[in-house]
Amino acid sequence: MTAAARRHGGKGRVRTIGRFARPYRGRALVALFTLIVATVTSVAGPVVAKEVIDSGIRSGHYDIVVLWVCVFLVVVVVGWMATAAQSYLTSWVGERVLADLRVAVFAHVQRLDLGFFERTPAGVVISRLTNDIEAMNSMITDGPTTLVQNTLTLIGSAVVLLVLDWRLALATLTVFPAMAIGTAIFRRYSARAYRRTRERMGEVTASLQEDISGVRVVQAFRREDANYRRFLQVNDGYRAANVQTVNAASIYFPFVSLLSATATAVVLGYGGVLVFHDQLSPGALFAFIGLLSNFFDPVQQLSQFYQTLLAATAALDKVVEVLRTEPAMSDSATAQPLPEIVGRVELDDVRFAYSAAAIEVLHGVSFTAEPGQTVALVGHTGAGKSTVVKLLARFYDPTSGRVLIDGHDLRDVTSWSLRSQLGIVPQEAFLFSGTVRANIAFGRPDAALDDVIAAAEAVGADAFIRALPDGYDTEIQERGARLSIGERQLVAFARALLADPRILILDEATSSVDIPTEGRIEEALETLFAGRTAFVVAHRLSTIRRADMIVVLEHGQVIEAGTHRQLIERRGRYYALYDDWVEAVA
Amino acid sequence: MTFRRLLGFLRPYRGQVIVSTVLAIGSQAAVLTIPYLTGQAIDATRPGHHDRQALMLDAALIVAAGALQGVLMFFRRFLAGRLSLAVEYDLRNAMYRHLQRLSFRFYDRHQTGQLMSRATVDLQSVRIFLGYGLVFFSQNVVTVVIVVGALLAIDWQLALIALAVSPLMMRAAYRYSRLSHPILKDVQQRVADVTTDAEENIVGVRVVKAFAQEEREIGRFAALARRVFDQAIAAARIQARYVPLLQTLPSLAMAAVLLVGGYSVIHGTLSLGSFFAVNGYILLLVVPLRSAGMWVGQYQRAMASGERIFEVLDVDRDILERPGAAPLPTGPGHIRFESVEFGYETGRPVLRGIDVDIAAGTTVALIGPTGCGKTTLTALIPRFYDVSAGRITVDGTDVRDLTLDSLRGDVGIVSQDTFLFSTTVAENIAYGTPEATPEEIVAAARQAQAHDFICDLPDGYETRVGERGLTLSGGQRQRIAIARALLMNPRILILDDATASVDATTEARIKLALREVMKGRTTLIIAHRLSTISLAERVVVLDGGRIVAQGTHAELIDTSPVYREIHSHGLVDRTFVDLDGDAPVAERRAAAATQRRLP
Repeated sequence: MTAAARRHGGKGRVRTIGRFARPYRGRALVALFTLIVATVTSVAGPVVAKEVIDSGIRSGHYDIVVLWVCVFLVVVVVGWMATAAQSYLTSWVGERVLADLRVAVFAHVQRLDLGFFERTPAGVVISRLTNDIEAMNSMITDGPTTLVQNTLTLIGSAVVLLVLDWRLALATLTVFPAMAIGTAIFRRYSARAYRRTRERMGEVTASLQEDISGVRVVQAFRREDANYRRFLQVNDGYRAANVQTVNAASIYFPFVSLLSATATAVVLGYGGVLVFHDQLSPGALFAFIGLLSNFFDPVQQLSQFYQTLLAATAALDKVVEVLRTEPAMSDSATAQPLPEIVGRVELDDVRFAYSAAAIEVLHGVSFTAEPGQTVALVGHTGAGKSTVVKLLARFYDPTSGRVLIDGHDLRDVTSWSLRSQLGIVPQEAFLFSGTVRANIAFGRPDAALDDVIAAAEAVGADAFIRALPDGYDTEIQERGARLSIGERQLVAFARALLADPRILILDEATSSVDIPTEGRIEEALETLFAGRTAFVVAHRLSTIRRADMIVVLEHGQVIEAGTHRQLIERRGRYYALYDDWVEAVA
Repeated sequence: MTFRRLLGFLRPYRGQVIVSTVLAIGSQAAVLTIPYLTGQAIDATRPGHHDRQALMLDAALIVAAGALQGVLMFFRRFLAGRLSLAVEYDLRNAMYRHLQRLSFRFYDRHQTGQLMSRATVDLQSVRIFLGYGLVFFSQNVVTVVIVVGALLAIDWQLALIALAVSPLMMRAAYRYSRLSHPILKDVQQRVADVTTDAEENIVGVRVVKAFAQEEREIGRFAALARRVFDQAIAAARIQARYVPLLQTLPSLAMAAVLLVGGYSVIHGTLSLGSFFAVNGYILLLVVPLRSAGMWVGQYQRAMASGERIFEVLDVDRDILERPGAAPLPTGPGHIRFESVEFGYETGRPVLRGIDVDIAAGTTVALIGPTGCGKTTLTALIPRFYDVSAGRITVDGTDVRDLTLDSLRGDVGIVSQDTFLFSTTVAENIAYGTPEATPEEIVAAARQAQAHDFICDLPDGYETRVGERGLTLSGGQRQRIAIARALLMNPRILILDDATASVDATTEARIKLALREVMKGRTTLIIAHRLSTISLAERVVVLDGGRIVAQGTHAELIDTSPVYREIHSHGLVDRTFVDLDGDAPVAERRAAAATQRRLP
C-alpha cells in the first residue's frame, strides 16, 4: 500500500466509524462528560495526598488531615457514580455502533452482484461479518474510554506536574524523544503484522467453512488425516502471522516501562537535590512521583490500546473494503421502476464475458420471446445456456448488445422492480433451514398458510409435506437436508409458483427422480409455465417438445431456433442432437 | 470444571508456563522494589539527614530495577504470547480434527455456521484468557501478596486497616462473576446465531437475489444483530454495577490510610518515609484490584466459550472402530444385509427388515419412490451410519468389526450432491488417492468421460474449481465425482443417481464406461431410468423403508406391479423415438415421465 492510500484508508476508517456513531451523539456526549468527571476524580488521589502531607501532617494539624480525607471521599463517590454511568453509556453506544456496522455490511453484501460472490469464497465474506466485527468489539466498546481517560490523565498529570515544579517536569520530558521514536517503529511494524493476521484468519475461516460443509465427502474419501495436515498449515500460517504481533509487543512494552523507571530515577535524583537545597518540599516530591506513575500508566495503557486498535483497524479495513465494493451493476441514476410486465423479452446482439480479462462466452445472441411463450434453451454443457439465463435476470450486464423486457432495456430499470416480477428456479434447489412453510413462502413472506398449501398442491408437493412429522411446520434442516432431492425440487417449484412472477426462468434440474415424482414434476412445470413467459434451460425432452420456441445454442451462438417440429424437419443441428438422444435411449 | 479442562491444554507447555510465571513474578518483584527505594530516597532527603550518596544510589537502583523488569517482561511477553497462540493453534486443530471425524448423524443436526463460530470467535476468547489473562492474573496475585507482605512488614496495623476492604471486594467480585456468566454465554450463542444466518445467506445468495428478498434478509439479520446487542447491554449493565464498585473500594482503603497514617506520623509513631512507602504500595494495589473486575469478565467469557468448545469436543463419535477391528481382508466384495433396521431418530425407522444378498461382482439396482430409503441404505455400507438392528457384512465380516479406513477405502461413492473442493481438477479427482500419478488421474477422467471437457478448461487439469474457482455445470461436476470414485479402484461402487446431471450423449458414453468399470466390482446403483437399471443383474424395489420386491428383470416383470409400471414406461420410451409432436397426451405424459433428456 502506498503512503497516500494508507492516509486515505485512515480517513476512510475515521469517517466510517464517525458515520455510524452520529445517530447516538447525544448519549455519546453524556458518556464523554461522565468520562471526564471520572477521570478528573481519579487524578485527585495524589493531589489530596500532597495536601494531607504538606498542610496536615507536616504542620501537625490533624483536623486538616480529616478535612482533606472527607474531600477525598466525596470525590471518590462522585467518581464512582460517574464511572458507573460512563461504563454503561459507552458500552451502549459501542455495542450499538457494532450492531449497526454488522447490519450495514450485511445489507451492503446483499446488494452486491453475483460476480462478487463468485470471486469471493463464502468463508471470507462470513469472516467479515463475524470475526472482523468481533475483532472491533474491544476497540469500539472500550476504545473511547481508554483513549479519552488516558489522554486526559496524561494531559492533566502533565499540567499538574508543570504547576508543581516546572524544572522537574522538564527533566522528566528528557525520556520523551526515545519514547516517540520507539513508538513510531512499533507502530509501523505491528500495523503490517496485524493486517497479515487478519488475512490469515480469513483463510482459516474459509478452510473451516469448506471442510465442515463438505464433511460428508471428506469422510467418504477418508481424507480426514490429509485434510488435517493441510489445516495444520493454514492454522500455522495464522499463528506465524500473529507471532509477529507478539514480537513487536514483547519489545515495545518493556521498553516503555524501562523509560518509566528512568524517569522516576531522574525525578528522584534531581528532585532530591532540589529538596536538599530547600527548593522543593518533600510533599511535592512525593506527589510528583505519584503523578509520574499516573503519567506513565496512560502511556502504557495507550500503547496497549494501540495494539487493540491495530487489530481492530486491520479488521475495519477489511470491512471498509467490503463496504467500498461497488456492485458491478447498480441501478443507474435514471433507472425507472419497470411497469407491470406483459412479457415480451428480446435479446439483441448480446455479447458477454464474465470479466474484462475472461474470454467472451456469448458472441452476439439474438432472439425474441412473445408474452406467454415458453422458450427452451438447448445445447451442450458450456454452450452458454446458463449465461443467457443470468443475463435475463440481470445478474450480469451484457458486454455489448441489449436485453429488453417489453421494450425496456434492463439497464434502465431498477433491479428490485425487475426481480420482484421475475421468478427464478435455479438448477439446484437451495433451501434454507427453517420450516417447509417458510421456504415455500420465501418470495412472499406474508402469504397465508392456505396460499402456501395451494401452491404446494399445485406442484404436487402437498402429499409428502403432510407426511412429514410436523407437516408444513417441519424444520427441514440446513440446505433442506431432511428432504430428498426430488422433494427439494418440488418445494422450490412451489416457492416459485407462490411468488407468481410474470416471467419465469427455470434452470431445469437434471437429477432424476423416481417415476411418480417425475410425473408430478412434469405436471408442476405445466402449471408453472401457464400464463407467463418462461425460459427453460431444458433437459427433459417433454419440456423441449412442449416449448413454443427452441433456441439451440452452441459455443455462445444461436445456431437454430423454432418449434420441435420445424427443427426436426430442418434436419440441422437440433436433429443431430435429437438423433444422439435417440441412440442413447436405445 | 471447564477451567480445569482448559488448563489441560496448557499441559504440553508446562515448562513455558512455569518459566513465564516465574518471569512475571520476577518482573513484578522488580517493580515492587521501586516504592521501597523511593521511600528510602525520601528519607534520605529528610531535613538534617541529607545524604546525597544514598539518594543517588537509590536513583540508580530504581533504574536498575526498571531495567531488570524490562528484560524479564520482554521474555515473559515473548513466551506468553507464543504460548497463547500455541494453545489457540492446538485447540483449533483439536476441534478441526474432531469435527472431521464426527458422524453424519452429528452433521444432520448441526449447522455449519454454529460450528464455525465455536472454532473462531469462542477460541479467541479462550486464547486471550489462557495466554494473557492467566499470566496477568498470576502477576497480579504476586503483586498483591508481595504488597501485603511489604505493608505488614512496614506497619502491620496500617496494613490491616488498608486491607479491611478486601472481603467486600471479594464478595463483589464473586457476585459479578456469578451473574455475568450465563449472560456472557448467551452473548456467545447469539453471536453464533449471527454467524449461522450469515453463512446460510451467503451460500444461498443466488436464491435470495432470485426472489428479490434482500430487504427481508437484511431485516432478519438486523433482528439477530439486535439480539446480540440486547444481551451485550444486559452484560454491560452488570458490568456498570460491579466494576466501578470494585475500582472505588481501593480508594476507601487509601482514605483510611491517610487518616490513620497521618495521625501516626503527627504523633511520631510512623516515619514520613514509611508513610510514603505505605502509600506507594497501596497505589500499587490499585491497578491489580481495579483490573480484578476486568479479569473476572475475561475469565467468565473464556469459561462460557470454553463450555461451548467442549460441547463440540465432547460429542462422542458414535461411529467408532471396535477394539481389535481388523482391516477388510481381500475378497471379492460380497455384501449381505441381514434383517437391517435403521432410523435417523429413535422411534422413526426409515428402513425395516432389510434382507439383501448381493453376490460378489454383481450389480444391483435400487429403485423406489422418493424418500423410500434408497440413499440411506447405501450409506450404511461404508458405516456413515450404524444399523439400529441386524447387521451388514462385507465378505462375511460385520462392517462394524472392520477398520473404518480399510472399509471406506474399498467403497467408492458418487452421490447425488456433488461437492467439489476449492482446488484443481486434478486434486479433486485424486481426492481419495492423493498419491495417484497424473497418468492415473487422466485415465480415471477418461473413463468418466470427463477428459475432453477438462482439456477445454482454461488450465486443463490445473484449473481451480469449487467455490473459489471456475463454476462447472452439474453434469461436469458429476463426471469429476465419478472419476474421483473410480480412481480409488474400490471393491464396492455406489452410484447414487450418478449420471443424473449429464446429457444423453454423455450418459450413453458413461454407461459404456460403467459397464467396463463394474466388471469385478460389486455395484449398487440408485436409478430411475430403465436404461440405467438395465445395467444391473438384479433389482431391489423399496417402498416405505421396506423391500417390496427383488429379483431379476424377468422375475420382477411377473411378480412386481411397481416394476411392471416402470418397465412399461420404458417400453413406451422406446417407441417414443418414432413419435412426432402430435402424440396423444397420455402417451406424451408417460413418455415424459421416463425423463429422457436432450443435451
